[in-house]
Amino acid sequence: MLITPILAAEAEGLQLLPDPSELVMGLVAFILLALILVKLAFPRINAALEERQAAIQGKIEDADAKLAEAEEAKRNFEANLDDARGEATRIIEEAKASAESLRADILAKAEAEAAQMIERAQADVAAERQRVLQELRTQVGSLSVELASRIVERELDESTHQGLVDEYIERLSSQN
Amino acid sequence: MTNILAAAEWGGEFDDVFVDINALFEFAPLFTVDIFGFELGINRTILIAWFMSALVAVIFLLAFRQPQVVPGKLQAIVEGIVDIVRTIVLEIIGPKGLRFVPILTTFFVAIFVLNLAKITPFMMLPPTGRVAWPLFLAVISWLIFVGVGIKEQGFFGYFGGIAFPSGVPKVLYVILTPIEIVSTLILRPFTLAVRLFANMAAGHILVVITMVIPWVFLPSMPVGWLLGVFGIVLGPVVFGFELFIIGLQAYIFTMLTAVYIDSSMEAH
Repeated sequence: MLITPILAAEAEGLQLLPDPSELVMGLVAFILLALILVKLAFPRINAALEERQAAIQGKIEDADAKLAEAEEAKRNFEANLDDARGEATRIIEEAKASAESLRADILAKAEAEAAQMIERAQADVAAERQRVLQELRTQVGSLSVELASRIVERELDESTHQGLVDEYIERLSSQN
Repeated sequence: MTNILAAAEWGGEFDDVFVDINALFEFAPLFTVDIFGFELGINRTILIAWFMSALVAVIFLLAFRQPQVVPGKLQAIVEGIVDIVRTIVLEIIGPKGLRFVPILTTFFVAIFVLNLAKITPFMMLPPTGRVAWPLFLAVISWLIFVGVGIKEQGFFGYFGGIAFPSGVPKVLYVILTPIEIVSTLILRPFTLAVRLFANMAAGHILVVITMVIPWVFLPSMPVGWLLGVFGIVLGPVVFGFELFIIGLQAYIFTMLTAVYIDSSMEAH
């Protein structure tokens, strides 16, 4: 009872020829679906994907540009900082140099003044000495004449014996 | 006899199933339409196929009715599906194959939902388990990759490339030429169709048996009762396994079509 149906199933097996109605209607359904997806859905899908890609691309480019800008600003800032440091160093150097030269100037001037004062003092001293010597010479001359005239009791002619007096004084001077 | 599956689902006699396995697959036309003089019987399988195709079309159109740069849920799901196919295409064909993404996506989603009818309540019958669907899907795949081959390499360039692969000693053409022609032009679509059909037909039989086991055996104590409980426990496992097969077959069909298109685009 059970054996016969199984044998029958084996004899018939699965239907392997396509049903014409199913073939036509299935194909039509598939082609309609393909048309709807390819012609209607995919243009929108691709547009959406491209729009997103463009948006992401734009954002990436934006970020890149901002990064480049920031780096440029940083470079400028650092360059400015370097400039300012250089400027400061230069100003300090200049100040040092001018102070140094000022010091040297003052020193030189002071030395020169000192030397001048010493020279003047020496000149004054020499002139004074000369003057005193001259005065001394004159007084010693007249004193000597007066003294000699008193001793010899006679008037000596001042002008005739001036030579004698001078000679005497010279001798005195050289003895000094 | 042809109404047996409906009977099996809604409670009825299963004896005829053992007489003719086609009772699980064939249904009498519910009505007929007359197109250009051809009488077409619209049966359950065709209605399922049309319903599933319409569902896919509606989902795709709804998802991208107002596409957003930051996608909503439906758009994200559909984009994910498209991305699966894009990844297949980019890996197998490369950027020059991106123009095939729409048609390959159609293959992928159409085969997936037609397979999915196998475990969809109130349908429980995969149109791809009927010879007609795998047959025309394989023929369309064949038309596409042969068409691409002729367009890319010229008529003689393409068929010459198939019949006389380069880099082979001329003597070997005696053996190779028939093999290459048969394998490329006949076996490729044949295996595409048979792989899909056999997986879905076998899966459908497995699902029916799993569903029928509790119905048949639960009432009979005590041995049958155990078998019936086993059938109930088995149900979710089989459904999960079938879901895996459903996705896998849709993926394989799409991927192989991409592989064939790729082999048509460059001379061998």
